[in-house]
This record gives sequence, structure tokens and C-alpha cells, in this order.
Amino acid sequence: MPAKQQRRKLDYVALFLLVFCLLGLLVTPHDPMAQDFRDQALDGPSFTHLLGVDGLGRDFASRLWQGAGNTVLLAGTGMAITMLLASGLVSLEQVGPVWCGRFIRMVIGLWVALPVIFIGLLLLVFLKPSPSALVMAIGFGNLAFCFRQLRVLWMTVRSALYVRSSEVLGSRGWQLFKWAIWPNLKPDLLALCRLLFAMSALELSGLAFLGLIGDPDFPELGSILKQNQAYLYQAPMLVIIPGAFLSGLLLSVHLSRFHR
Amino acid sequence: MDLEQQQTEASTRSLTLSFVLKELRRFALIFFIASFGIFLALESMPEDPISLRVKNPDPERIAEIRDSLGLNDPWYQRYVRGVGDFVQLDWGESLISGRTVRSEVGRFLPATLELAIPGILFGAALGIAVVLIAHATGWRWLLQPVRGLSALGLTVPIFWIGLLLILFFSVRLGWLPVGGRFDFAHVAPEGSGFLIIDSIVQGNLEALWISIRHLVLPVMTLSLYPAAVVAGTLEARLNQSSIQRLVTALEARGFSPLRIWGRHVLRLVSGPVVTVIGTQAGALLGGAVLTETVYSWPGMGRFIVDGVLHRDLYIIQHGLLLIVVLALMVVTFSDLLARRLDYQLNTREDSDAG
Repeated sequence: MPAKQQRRKLDYVALFLLVFCLLGLLVTPHDPMAQDFRDQALDGPSFTHLLGVDGLGRDFASRLWQGAGNTVLLAGTGMAITMLLASGLVSLEQVGPVWCGRFIRMVIGLWVALPVIFIGLLLLVFLKPSPSALVMAIGFGNLAFCFRQLRVLWMTVRSALYVRSSEVLGSRGWQLFKWAIWPNLKPDLLALCRLLFAMSALELSGLAFLGLIGDPDFPELGSILKQNQAYLYQAPMLVIIPGAFLSGLLLSVHLSRFHR
Repeated sequence: MDLEQQQTEASTRSLTLSFVLKELRRFALIFFIASFGIFLALESMPEDPISLRVKNPDPERIAEIRDSLGLNDPWYQRYVRGVGDFVQLDWGESLISGRTVRSEVGRFLPATLELAIPGILFGAALGIAVVLIAHATGWRWLLQPVRGLSALGLTVPIFWIGLLLILFFSVRLGWLPVGGRFDFAHVAPEGSGFLIIDSIVQGNLEALWISIRHLVLPVMTLSLYPAAVVAGTLEARLNQSSIQRLVTALEARGFSPLRIWGRHVLRLVSGPVVTVIGTQAGALLGGAVLTETVYSWPGMGRFIVDGVLHRDLYIIQHGLLLIVVLALMVVTFSDLLARRLDYQLNTREDSDAG
């Protein structure tokens, strides 16, 4: 099965890249914040600095590695917040009283019309610009989209013939969910998670690029790009590499399947 | 026959009217939620925006300023006054620059519109042209970049594309300016705030050339996402069996590919294309803000982001609400236009386009 093997390979690549990025939060060759190499600022690659040194004298490979780790962690957290909130709302809408379901649907219908950038800026009015504020912004910003997708998935699986058959055969509650609903819901749920992760990572780096992450030195791929934009003429690789890394990471997640 | 036709027209008119009313109701509801959300956010702001602006924070002086601005009134009065001020275009003064927010918006909004409108139109035209040419000529290889483009929206940050374009066209080739809206060495034409229109009105060809050169890269950057979305939607729509059957029937009648695709099919698919642009208005707005930042474009995006970061009360209050109103206007207008273009939407009683 060459096609299946090919897909597996893509899954491994995506998994490796995600784990590799997260490792950057634990170990880096140099301190990504310390300006220890000011005398070598904007120097190209060498044995001690594999990707050179940035304009403020910091090892660029270390900043990039930890920045990628922060992007993955923050986007993953934002995605988890969105999924948790959306799952809670879908459950409430399905199980709760009719008026409650109607109210949730109405609020989501209006929420979806609000641009994510508006929701992000609105949260930053009363939250101090920080990585956690951005996580909240993307978590709430994608809520309406996620709710709608999740609701459609749930309704499709819940009304499917095999679920109805299981019910007729006496399966109820947790047993029904575990044996009939979950196995069929899981692949689409994972696909939704991949989509949400990509959306969250792009929105996070976009908001960080706008300077809304607070500390401009905080290593995150969007804020690294913003800081290095000043060196576009002298050291273009400081701009090319972070964007290429983020795009490569998201492309690998986009192409992976994990569940199939 | 005439009576039947009149009845159909009357029914279409009543459906359109109920649709317009539905749109207006949605507009009003979202405006209310957004304005109240902004009000709550400003109330929950940890810092007092007035104290941040006063050099020597004397409590009496701060209380005086708060009184003069009506910030000590009950919350419902402040909320109603804020909405009333927004509707009457009385947007107060920036606490930082001291200039009126309305005059600042008047300065920055034309810049954003001058970038966003060509960006969206160029992107949509590009998406439509590539897909229609690929189908009309049978050059299916043209669809390969379309498939790539649809993945691009989910994998590549728009601001990085902007930086790459600067690197190639400005730094490497030196063809186009790195950023800004006009050349500092020249005097920008004055008038409406739209530099291209002002240049044309004044017959200033040099200013027109400078404005266009500054506009090329930002428009290219901003148009990629609409191009991807439009091309993806169009491609999916054209693969529907009903469209395929229509094309076969028109081919059998001996119509030329230009007439089939450029006239009949384009008319059929224009409704969904307009709808998708409208539903993506929020994302496009976000793209415009990022594009403005990359190219140091003096537009609304940077103005409002700076207002939020500096806790500038009236810029946040009215600027953010203006963003929502603009996005809503795009959505509402595109829905109405889609309804006008799409006959099926216009006559379907159970339509859920709103």
C-alpha cells in the first residue's frame, strides 16, 4: 500500500516537527533571550551559531527553536480552549432546555459575524498584552466557527443509521457513545483539530506580529519576524527562515492524516 | 400568463423585502452586542485611561476631567451616550494626540479603503479568471496552483508573504518602494484622501504613478487570500453536475467557450462568489491590518492597534465599533448582491442566506 505508507510518513514528519518544536521550550544551545553576542550581531552561520546571530546579539537558532515551541504550545492551548468551550456549548445545546439551545444558536450566529481581529483587540482592551491574552483571543475568536462545525459533526453521527441501530439493539448512554458514536466521530474531530491548530497558529503569529504579545523580545515566530523586519536589507535570512519554518510546520500538519 | 407573472414578481418582491428586514435585524443585533461588548471591555480596563494621560496624577484634577467627559455618570447613561455619539459621528478626541477621532478616521480610512478595495477586487478577479480559463480551454494544469493556493490560506502567514515580496521586488530588484503610501520627496495630492482619485482629478500623472507604485505590493499581498478563497469556491461549484450538464447542453447548441464560460456560467456562479467574499470579510479585514503593518501603510488597522495598546479611550470605543460596522456592511451588501445575482436564492422560500 504505497499511498497509505506515504500518508504514514507524512504523519511521522508532522509528529516529529511538533515534538521537535516543543523540545525547544526545554533545551536550546544558547539562552534565546540573552544578548551575549553583541559583537557578532547579524553575523552569518558558524559552528557555534548554526543560523547566525540576530541584530541584538542573540543566537538565532535558539530563538527560532524556542519561538517555534512557544507558537506550537500557545496555538495548541488556544485550540484546546476553543474545542473545550465549543464541546461544552454543543452539549448544553443538545441536552439543555429548548430555550437554552435557541439562545446559544442565536449568540453563535451573531458571534460568527465578528472578525477574530476585533475579538482579539476587544480582549486586549482589558487584558494586558501578553501571550496568555493572545491565547484567550484566539480561543474565543474561533469559538463560533468550531461550534458550528462540531454541531454539524455531532448531528450527522448522532442521526446515522448505525447509531440508530445500536440504540434499537439496546445500547444507551456511555456504551452508545463509546462503541457507536466515538469511533465514527474521531476522524472528523481530528481533522477539525488540525484545521483549528493551523488557524490558531496563523492568528497567534499575526497578532504577535502586530505587537500585541506584550514583550517584543518574547520568542514566538510572529514576534521574531516583527523584530527582524528591521534587518531585511542586512540579513534577509532572519526574516525568511522563521516564516518558512512556520509554513513548513503548518503544511506538514495540513498534509497529515493521523487517523486514517 | 400575465397574472401568473405578476404573482411571481410580487412573491419575489415580498421575499426580498423580508430578506432585507432580516438583514437589518441582524445588523442591529450585532451592532448592539458589539457596542455593549466594547463598553464592558472599557469598563473592565485595569488602568484608568485618564490617569495614564495626566502627567502629575492629582486625584482632584483627574476627577474634574472625568466629570467633564461624563465618565462619572451611571453606566447606562454612558452606554447610551456612547452609542448616540457614534451614530451622530461625534467621536470625541484622542487622549494622546488631542486631535478629534473623526478627523483621524477621515485621514486613515481612505488609505485602508484604497488598499482593501483593489486587493479584494484583484484577488476575486484573479481567482475567477484562472478557474474559468482552466475550464474553458481545458488547460487543467492551471488548476494545480489553484489547489496550492487553497492550502496557502491555511499554511502561510500573509505578513510573511508580504515580507518576501518586499525582499524580491524592492530589495533585490529595486523596482518598487519598500513601504509607505507616497514618496516623501514629493507633495501628495490633497482632496478626498484617496491618492489615486485625487491624482486623476488634479491631472497629476507623476503623483498617480507614485501612488500606483506604492500600491502594487500591498495589493498583491492582500489579494492572495481572496484569490484562494474565490478560486476554491468556484472550482467546487463548477464541478457540480448541474453546471456540467448546462455546459454540455450549451456546447451542443454550438456556443463558443467564451460565451459559455464568460457569460452563462459566470452569471450562475457570481452569486456564491460574492457570498464567500462577504463571509470572509472578517478574515480579509485581519489581512488588511497585517498588510498595513508590513508595508507601514498609514491605515485604520495600525491606528486602532496603537489606540488599544495606548489605552486611548475614544479611539477604542469608536474605532473598534467602526471596524464591526464596516465588516457588517460588507457582509450585508454582499448578501444583498448575491441575492440579486443568484436567481435561485431570490426565489427559494426556505432560503437561509441570511
